[in-house]
Amino acid sequence: MSAVTNHVDLAKSSSRLLAKLFKNSKIDFLYRSQNSSDWQLLVDGRARGLEQIRDFLGDRNQSSFSLKKTPIGLCSASLMADDSLFAIALKSPSSRAKFSETDKVLLRLFIYLLDTAYQQLLHRRNEKSLIFSLNHRVLQLNSLIDTGIEVSKLDQSASLQQLALERAASLTNASKGIVRIREGDKVVEESFFPDRFSTQAINGEQQTIATSFKFANRAFTFELFEKESRRGVIPFEDTDQMLLDALARQVHASLENRFLLEKELENQRFEQDMAVAAAIQKKIIPIKLPDIAGYDVAGINIPSKSVGGDYYDCIPLGDGSFALVIADVAGKGVPAALLVSSLHAYLSAYLEGAIPLSQLAQRLNKVIWRASTDDKFITAFIGILKPGNGELEMLNAGHNPTYLLRRDGSVQELGAVGLPLGMLDMDFPYQSERITIEKGERLFLYTDGITEAVNEREEFYDVERPLRDFFLGHQPAQSGAFIRELITDIKKFTGSAPQSDDITALYLRRLP
Amino acid sequence: MDQPFALTSDLKDNCLVIATSGYVNNVGGEAIAKEFTRHFEKGTKKIVINLAKSKVVNSIGMSFLIEIIEQLEDAGGKLVFTDLDPAVEKMLAIMGLFKYAGKEPTVEDALRVLTSRK
Repeated sequence: MSAVTNHVDLAKSSSRLLAKLFKNSKIDFLYRSQNSSDWQLLVDGRARGLEQIRDFLGDRNQSSFSLKKTPIGLCSASLMADDSLFAIALKSPSSRAKFSETDKVLLRLFIYLLDTAYQQLLHRRNEKSLIFSLNHRVLQLNSLIDTGIEVSKLDQSASLQQLALERAASLTNASKGIVRIREGDKVVEESFFPDRFSTQAINGEQQTIATSFKFANRAFTFELFEKESRRGVIPFEDTDQMLLDALARQVHASLENRFLLEKELENQRFEQDMAVAAAIQKKIIPIKLPDIAGYDVAGINIPSKSVGGDYYDCIPLGDGSFALVIADVAGKGVPAALLVSSLHAYLSAYLEGAIPLSQLAQRLNKVIWRASTDDKFITAFIGILKPGNGELEMLNAGHNPTYLLRRDGSVQELGAVGLPLGMLDMDFPYQSERITIEKGERLFLYTDGITEAVNEREEFYDVERPLRDFFLGHQPAQSGAFIRELITDIKKFTGSAPQSDDITALYLRRLP
Repeated sequence: MDQPFALTSDLKDNCLVIATSGYVNNVGGEAIAKEFTRHFEKGTKKIVINLAKSKVVNSIGMSFLIEIIEQLEDAGGKLVFTDLDPAVEKMLAIMGLFKYAGKEPTVEDALRVLTSRK
């Protein structure tokens, strides 16, 4: 670095050397760059160099090298390798002293030497520029890789775009940049670099490069403006466009990866929720129903893949009676499973209190309403059976009709008499009914997972094969057999269609 | 969003301390060079450039910094960069600036290094 790095220093050091050769002479060094018509006086030794060079060259263009005596002294001009001109003007110490032919030869030799030194200077300058350019390319590649790693780490999408914009601007030497995110024609987000500016002030296509991509119904556009150089604004290069495209692609890939990751995490959370819901439901659904003297009772619950909120039970009560319950929560997943759990807990507690069924329903309505969101409620059939005389006090809160097969072969439908539990926050007057199940009669409770089971043609089971007819047509000796036959028939109907809802049924037969 | 380029300077222990904020580009580099030249011509040869608030430097800005380093090298002076953002530090390293300029964590560290130089 201590070597001469510019033409001014070259002129200064050369003038010191020349002063030793032409003792007592006044020496000027002049320079004219290739794109200029003006001479610069680099070393002013009072040799009236500017006057001499004007006398010497006049309006002529210098072709290569010339040397001439002028009225003032001796002047030499040489065309250098980069088309610039170096001139040396000598003035003798007195008007009487004249420059000799030897002096002319000496000056000519010195100019050759200067030319060689100037070529070396140009060579060093080119070498430095080449090294700078190569280093800058390495920097661009390195930064591209680093930015790719960094944008994949960032949590906030806004900082991700800002980072990519900053890197793109600095690597392409853009003076400013902007990222716009549009939804349709509306700009929903803007990021500027280095600070907010108006794009209207920028003219000329060559002063701008842009790239864009679409993600999640949004258009992302990256724009860079005014490529800088030491000489002012210059057009962007092809490699600048390539760099901007590459950085925008990294942002796009990062956004997509983040989206896929979030989706995967959401799926994992959903699967975990489903496992929790299934575990809750499994704990509540009875493994074995109690034996009721004089009756044969069987039930089933087949949860669907997405875990619904079906519930059934046959609960022995303190006075020898039994509570027959079937319920269906609107919705699926953990919220539905939790609501079933609440129903099970409150129902068990209220049944122990031996309160009237209508009052029990009112209380359940209130607690379920408090425990659930607006879109959640429970349809339920609750019956209190006195096994001895077959009396059934029952209440249907918005549930599917329960079928009762009478001894005469008729089917009695025990339909809804009240709103689903937890649907409204009001003291709805639930009314219970009393019927008697005679010997040989059968009671069938079910949820809509049976009536609304669909096949591959999206036909409903109850529409194609009315459940009432199945109930009437299948009267096996054992309740368990009825349940098995029903499930077989449903599966035969649905075929390969996936189970869309929980299938739950409770069948009670009073022995003859 | 970054701020527009700004610069402050201070003379401490015969060392010029320049602190920048914003994008070191053509405008920023030129401003640094101008401030340097003003003091260099008066004989200041020890320079500290604090880039704590400049997270982005482009190659035009770097070319000005290289020129400052060259002038100081020729005059037997020294430049030390401080408070470098890791990305900026890597850029300056790749461009070869640390072959001739120093880097220190803080301005105080840089001043200690420069004032101990003979």
